[in-house]
Parts: sequence; structure tokens; C-alpha cells
Amino acid sequence: MDCKTAHELLPLYFDSELDRTTSREFEAHLDACADCRELLVGLDELRRGLREDAPRYRAPTALRERLADSAAAMAAVAESNAVVPTRRYRTPLPLRFAASVALAFAAGGTVVALWNSPHGSGTSRDQVASDLFASHWRALAATSPVDVVSSDRHTVKPWFAGKIADAPVVRDFADQGFPLVGGRIDYVGSARVPVLVYRHGQHLIDVFVLASTDAARLDASAMRNGYRIEAVRLGDQPAAIVTDMDAGEVTKFDQLLQQMK
Amino acid sequence: MIATTASGFVDELAQRHLDAAYSLGRWLLGNDQDAADAVHDAYLRAARSADTYAGGNARAWWLAIVRNCCLARLAGRSKERRNVELDATPGNVHPLLPQSEANEVEERIDAAQRRERMTRSLRDLPIEFRETLILREIEELSYREIADVLAVPIGTVMSRLARGRAMLQKALADAPATHVAKESSHGL
Repeated sequence: MDCKTAHELLPLYFDSELDRTTSREFEAHLDACADCRELLVGLDELRRGLREDAPRYRAPTALRERLADSAAAMAAVAESNAVVPTRRYRTPLPLRFAASVALAFAAGGTVVALWNSPHGSGTSRDQVASDLFASHWRALAATSPVDVVSSDRHTVKPWFAGKIADAPVVRDFADQGFPLVGGRIDYVGSARVPVLVYRHGQHLIDVFVLASTDAARLDASAMRNGYRIEAVRLGDQPAAIVTDMDAGEVTKFDQLLQQMK
Repeated sequence: MIATTASGFVDELAQRHLDAAYSLGRWLLGNDQDAADAVHDAYLRAARSADTYAGGNARAWWLAIVRNCCLARLAGRSKERRNVELDATPGNVHPLLPQSEANEVEERIDAAQRRERMTRSLRDLPIEFRETLILREIEELSYREIADVLAVPIGTVMSRLARGRAMLQKALADAPATHVAKESSHGL
């Protein structure tokens, strides 16, 4: 095993994610390589430091009691077979849309109230934008911003088709200076959405294909840390561009997307 | 309509992994009240959606719900408020320290400083690295379990772990070492 391979396997070995045979090969390399041993010691020191010095917080007794109270309340409701009462229904309008998403896991207004709890007073409008920015930044931080690599729309679309209900329209704009890099699936709220990834010079462009409920909760454009979101349409599907390109280039790209059918 | 068996399953799951849930919430949200509220949200949500649990790792399913409830709360805070709300000093440190003889005083100070530095460095990491590190190093979840909790591919888990570890190592190395009077040993 050479040092390059060993470096790649090192965290997997450290986290017990290697199979036995590979582990043994890795250990053989370790015996011979002081550099790798040193890296391993570094990881181990960090782990010990975390376990000793980063407190694992204990759940307070009050929380246990609160859960027990809720369990009793829910049991009582289930017994009387009544509908969960809709308390705290002071929901601003945008959150009504959120309800349709929330309905995926429950029925009843209390769920909406949960999302609108006294501490989390933000709007769901910010939530969609935040999700989009976060997905984009996460993708940039990952080793690869795409799960399927291809400049060929005939590869990307079927890949989506196997993973998501509505595979988006896919087109390559390499001729216009915006080559298709590939695609991935990401999360907006709890919904899995297809993301088309394009490149323009040094800039990466994510095109999120949104559900209309999410699209309705997104402003036409937003800026954060030098990145921008632009609400667009991909053929007849609502979508959002996230990128660090400047406004002029975004407009150009937007026009290309609009022409898609 | 909650089936009694389903809510029993969630009850047991939540009880068994309550510390894990609370600790994750506490690290993500930065204060006790929000962490407790988020776990309570998660419990209600889990109880209502118990029938959507499709098998697989139950702890990962529960922690994923906890995490989503935490993120929903985080998203609700404005940026300024988030910075203020995170605790400036780890409040739980001192009660954990041994109340003992004078010759241990310096070691205690040293340990308190190491904790303070670790807590601060970890807290300052971007959330995706912080949560990945906590799930791996403190909760000891496997890559697959972390991928389930975070709803990301395993490759992303690996790259976040690698990057998170490197960032934390750097942060700890760069952290201004608050000096103790004497050079005391680092082992406790």
C-alpha cells in the first residue's frame, strides 16, 4: 500500500469503517510509515480531547417530565379518539403554505403551531432561501458538488428518474458558456428536490427545481455572503438559481433557462 | 390517530436516546431552553409520525427528527440573535469539576481552560462540521448512521468529517492558550 492510498484510508481505519482485510493491509503500511502513524495519533488526540473536554449534555429532569406529560396527554387524546385540539393558532399567512408540507407527517393545526413556536419566530420564507443557500454551500464544501457527473443530459435525466418523482427537464448550455456539470438530489425543508449543476468560468451554478409551495415562499432574489438566489422557471417548472455569479451573468443564464421547453 | 403501539415505540426510543438528543440540540442551538424545546418538538413529531418509520436504524431516525427540529429553530433566529444566544462560557463546566484539595486547584484550572477552549472551538465551527463531529466522536455513530441523520450521502459525511477535524485541530492549535501559573501536566 502506498502512502497516498493510506492517507485516504486513514480516517476510515480510525473510524472502524474498513473491512478486515484492508485494515490489515493498512496496519502493515502503518508499521513502516511514521508519517501515517503521526496523523493517526493526531486524530486520536482530537477524539480524546473531544470526549474529555466537550461536555455531553445530560437531558434535564424537567425535560423528561415534559415528555411524560405529553405522552399522557397524547394517550388521553388517542383513547377518546378525539381530534388533537388546535391550540396557539396564531399562524401568519406564509405558514399556511408550510402546513401542506407539514401535513406530510401529521394532521392538525398543532403541528403548524410547533413550527411557529415562541422561540423560532422567523418566517418560513427565510427558511426556503436558507435551505437553498445551505445546500449550495454544502455542495461546494463536499468533495464533489454533484452525485451524477455528466455533461450529457441523457445521463442526468434518467439518473433523476430513478430517484425522484418528477425528473426535471435537463439541457446542456455548453455552447452558450454554461456547461452542464451534473446533478444531485438535495433537501429543501424535508422535500427531496433535484438540483442541476452548471458551470460558468470559475462559478458553480445550482438550479434547484422547486415544488410550487416552496417556490411561492421564495423572494424573487436574495443575497447572502456574496451568493445570490434568483427565482426562475425551468420550462414550466418553478426553480431557483444559487450562485456567486454577478447579476448580468445570472440574467443571461436565466434567459437560457426560460427558453427551455 | 396515534396507535398505542407506535407511541410506545417512540416513548421507548426517546427515553433511551434522550441524552443524545438533548446533547445534540444543546450543541446545535447553544442554550438549554432551546435545546429542551427542540427535543420536545421532536418527541411530538416522532409520536405523530411513528407509522412513517420505515425500519432501519431507529436511533438515526430519532436523531434526524431532533436535528430537523433544531434546524427549524435555528432558521427562525436572526443572525445577530444567534450570535448573542450562544453561551459565552460553558455554564456546566464548574459543577463537573472535582471539589477537592488545594494541590488539585491548578489541575482543575487547567482542565477548565481546556474545556473552555474545546467548547469554544467546537461551537465556532460551521454547523455542518460541528454536528458531524459530534455525531461521530461523541455519539459514536457510524458513517451510515450519520448519513441517515443528516440526510446526505456518505461521501459528504466523510468529507465533512475530514474537514471538520482539520478545522477543529487548527482552531485548537490557534486558540490563545490561557496560561496557568506553573507548567502543569496535561493529563488529568
